[in-house]
Amino acid sequence: MSTRWYPLYQKGNPQLRVFLPNFWMKLLKPAHQTQPKNVVCFEVSMQMTKADIKNYLEKIYKLPVVDVRTRIRMGRFKREERSGYIIKEKDPKLAYVTLPKEVSFTFPDLFPEDNETKKNLKDDEKALDQAKEKYKEFLDRNSKRRDLPGWFSI
Amino acid sequence: MNFANLTRRFFNATHQLSRILTFNTIQRTNFVGVRSISTTPFIYNESNINEDVNKKLMEFFDDKKNWNENDVKHGRSWQLPELRIKSNTDLHKLWYILLKERNMLMTMEHEHSREWRWWASPERLDKVKDSMKNVETVVRERNRAYYELETGEDGEVPVVKQTNMLGLVEVRRKREHRIPLALNRKWRENNPGPTNERDMHRFLKLYREKNYMVHRRSKNRARNHVIRLLRRFPDLDRNILKQKYPSVNIDNLGRRDKFRGHYVFKVD
Repeated sequence: MSTRWYPLYQKGNPQLRVFLPNFWMKLLKPAHQTQPKNVVCFEVSMQMTKADIKNYLEKIYKLPVVDVRTRIRMGRFKREERSGYIIKEKDPKLAYVTLPKEVSFTFPDLFPEDNETKKNLKDDEKALDQAKEKYKEFLDRNSKRRDLPGWFSI
Repeated sequence: MNFANLTRRFFNATHQLSRILTFNTIQRTNFVGVRSISTTPFIYNESNINEDVNKKLMEFFDDKKNWNENDVKHGRSWQLPELRIKSNTDLHKLWYILLKERNMLMTMEHEHSREWRWWASPERLDKVKDSMKNVETVVRERNRAYYELETGEDGEVPVVKQTNMLGLVEVRRKREHRIPLALNRKWRENNPGPTNERDMHRFLKLYREKNYMVHRRSKNRARNHVIRLLRRFPDLDRNILKQKYPSVNIDNLGRRDKFRGHYVFKVD
């Protein structure tokens, strides 16, 4: 596509500008507790470089980025359940972005066990119990009438 | 030092330079290398920087009121006719909104799948992706129109047809290269073209045979299907059948044994 046709970089002006970047970034929960408070882990699209990540966060999210480190984690190998052949997940690219030392970011607790979740779960369970009762009634409808199949009713 | 050696050294240097360079940056302000990234000064409020940054990082997460929902209410994606009447600036702004939204949704999806939780309304992500595709289509249309008006050509990436090692013709999008093709030894090693002609012709023969068999089987399947249809429904409209199965010669089907069925005509 024409808008995705990047010319080679030439030193000097005019600078290469990408108007519609299609890079993505996911904010990940820190895998280890040793990760400092001012470091945030992202999964980024594979084509992104350190400069890209820094620019992306600074220009789009207006974040003060101090340093970026990247690594490519090997995807997991799994055995296919039925056939048994081995499949590999794709390799994610991880970026560890350092923010100024005054910042302390903790990954939010997305699943708090508060009342609302429990209420929702209870509602679901209630509906399920009701359905079970109804089905039992349906089955027991003809239990006293002999020599008739269970599904038979007038 | 002779000339060949000199050129090799020069191209080695440029090759290394090209490895350091990256082409897909959003905006490159000050290029030095990978280690020292662009040094744009970033202005932020020193006093409540923690609060400020936390607020901005929360853009990667959904609204807090949607966290425990079983279903999130949302609209539809942006359609092409709606985007066509927007200005370029509006499209540009919309792209970044969609980009942020997609990042947010991808983050939420990742975290939910990692925790084995139900994620409400996953179709949101598809709708955002669809909108982004549509924005890109409109931008492409405009770019094309502009180039056709100004230069008489569409500004699309030129395409070349190339015969590969197996003798198959493949279509390749052209792109700029730092080193001319004739001097790029590594590329020539990786893309040898049709080398072993005997093997290539043997492969092509089998490949053509396979394609031919696929074609023939599909033709036979269609013909048999039409025969079965006509046997069961003799009054079918022949013109519609001809339209639907153009490869079948319906007028000549009556000569086939299959068409007749397993009975003898009663003769008076």
